[in-house]
Amino acid sequence: MVSIIGWSRIRSPWILYMGTGHCNACDIEVLAVLAPRFDVERFGILLKGSPRHADVLVVTGAVSRQTAPRLKRIYEQMPNPKFVIAVGTCACSGGVYWGCYNVLGGIDKVIPVDVYIPGCPVRPEAVIQGVAKLLAKLQGGGKK
Amino acid sequence: MMSIYRIPVGPQHPAIKEGFQWNFKLDGEVIVDVTPRLGFVHRGIEKGMELRSWVQGIYLAERICGICNTPHTTCYCLAVEQLYDVEVPKRAQYLRIIINELNRIHSHLLWIGVLGMEIGFMTYFMYVWRDRERVMDIVELITGNRVTMSMNMIGGVVYDITPPMEGIIRRGLDYLEERTKYYKEVLLNEPTIRARTENVGVLSKSDAIDLCAVGPTLRGSDVKSDARFDEPYSSYDEISFNLVTYPYCDVYARALVRADETLESIQIIRECLDKMPSGPIKVRLKRTPPPGEAVARVEAPRGELLHYVKSDGKEKPYRVKMRTPTLANIPATCEMLKGYYIADIPAIIASIDPCYCCTERMLFIDINSGKSWVWTDSELRRYSLKYYRERRK
Amino acid sequence: MSKSTSKEEFIAHELKSNFGDVISELKVTGPRRVYVTVPPESLRDILLFLKNMFNARHIVTITGIDMMKSFELIYHIAVPGEHIRSILVNVKTHIPRDNPTMPSVVDILPGATLYEREVHDLLGIVFEGHPNLERLILPDDWPEDEFPLRKDWKPKEV
Repeated sequence: MVSIIGWSRIRSPWILYMGTGHCNACDIEVLAVLAPRFDVERFGILLKGSPRHADVLVVTGAVSRQTAPRLKRIYEQMPNPKFVIAVGTCACSGGVYWGCYNVLGGIDKVIPVDVYIPGCPVRPEAVIQGVAKLLAKLQGGGKK
Repeated sequence: MMSIYRIPVGPQHPAIKEGFQWNFKLDGEVIVDVTPRLGFVHRGIEKGMELRSWVQGIYLAERICGICNTPHTTCYCLAVEQLYDVEVPKRAQYLRIIINELNRIHSHLLWIGVLGMEIGFMTYFMYVWRDRERVMDIVELITGNRVTMSMNMIGGVVYDITPPMEGIIRRGLDYLEERTKYYKEVLLNEPTIRARTENVGVLSKSDAIDLCAVGPTLRGSDVKSDARFDEPYSSYDEISFNLVTYPYCDVYARALVRADETLESIQIIRECLDKMPSGPIKVRLKRTPPPGEAVARVEAPRGELLHYVKSDGKEKPYRVKMRTPTLANIPATCEMLKGYYIADIPAIIASIDPCYCCTERMLFIDINSGKSWVWTDSELRRYSLKYYRERRK
Repeated sequence: MSKSTSKEEFIAHELKSNFGDVISELKVTGPRRVYVTVPPESLRDILLFLKNMFNARHIVTITGIDMMKSFELIYHIAVPGEHIRSILVNVKTHIPRDNPTMPSVVDILPGATLYEREVHDLLGIVFEGHPNLERLILPDDWPEDEFPLRKDWKPKEV
């Protein structure tokens, strides 16, 4: 935890969140991460409303046919350097929806992913750890 | 400093329908007509069930909606158990009641927090969501999972409540009861909440019935209907609790229904723990059910849920049909939006509890000028908060 | 055999008395469960009967099933019993697969509006008289003649 505070002094990542074809369980765990028990806002992590202000795109859900173009567009609107976190098994690989028409699979079918956080749903601790790994990458000069 | 939250584009949860677009026709600021367009995140689950074995279907049913996951697995298992013509052991039935009520408490608290968020009352949201964690602690104690319980199996349940757990659960319930009573007090007394919810989104009793509304939306319009009473499944008829209704027919009534239901759920769990029968928690069944069809209904936090299953004696279902409560409430929602202002939309749509934010985009058309524009839900929420702030000056 | 008839049995008895000549199957399979099969042209009459005689105003949903030789439609109607939506009367009908049309019941049960649209979207059944039988859940760019819940439909590679 101490190292996160250190990193966030260097850089306070602004996050854009997007859900694509998901069941909501990962969403509410991501939201729980912002709520008082886990409270990542104290690390300077802020949820933002527009792709143009965001450093990190956090995505839950398997990609569906309709959301694929929208996901791509949002990714393209983000300024460089940008990073993507796939939250939940569905975002990593399509998860439980194998064989469902309309589901393409994990989000890496559409955009490049930096950090995969599996879980069905993810645990908030895993989300924090995933974000910490990304911050390490940022600090290490990870480029896009 | 106020943070602006972009509310996730949420799946609704009907098995195969997720994410809405609402199209509004306006006369100035007033809504004249509403048509819904669903399907932005349609996944194809009903067809997916036909590719899976009966047991694998439980895990897919569970993920129709992560918030209501337990009613979905309960309903599915109840329907399949009818195919086997078997009733699960009593202890399993009581355990099912407990997890379904825990799920209801979790969902209603989540909603109460979200109502606060929709009307700009972020502190309320934060407090409620902090206390909601206590429910998830109890769920994690029993099942190992915080959200998606994975407790149901065809033939019973897979986890049991041991005596040491019982003490922890009861203490958790005491805490939740005290906090819920406090949140209800806030609902009853806080002028901002009342101003934004009283006489807003009114749905008359006859409309609620004719448009086939379900859940708190129905009960907030004074209709005494709840699947736990209409169709007492899993031994609910052995537990004494109240069917909560309120006569005001507005958003406020629906909020009060949910607050009271949370308190009722806490009582139900206590009674189940008091009366818990001993015995096995599941019965072994053959892998494949005999041919036939069955239909089961349960009361999910959002309302009546139905699962229909058809077996042709094979390893995989011939057909699984799932009708989720939010779909049932959409015609009623369109009706309750008419005549209100754009700024009321977030509270009204939230009042049917469509998985805390169902709408992705809203299309507005002014019938006088022909002008049209699209807003995201966060744009709408910002507009709504600003509108009511200006009015208070 | 119980001394008094249960409500389910009473409903079944009334259905038989009034529609006996068109009903092909009628059974009470358990508490709160009645199944009745009628031809499509009698469906509206049955629903009107349930509404007028028993005050049944709640349609839970409409299930459409591809039975290969025909489409089966099940209208799950909740009829008052001990509580106002206690008894499920499942009204079944079959329509030909090569001409899947059915009269709409939205004027009798307004709550059916989205359920008919859903069945139309996924199985291609046309409900005549429906006020707006548009797409409900499939995406806008979904091809017009592809109906995913039909048994002969296979997903295409994307």
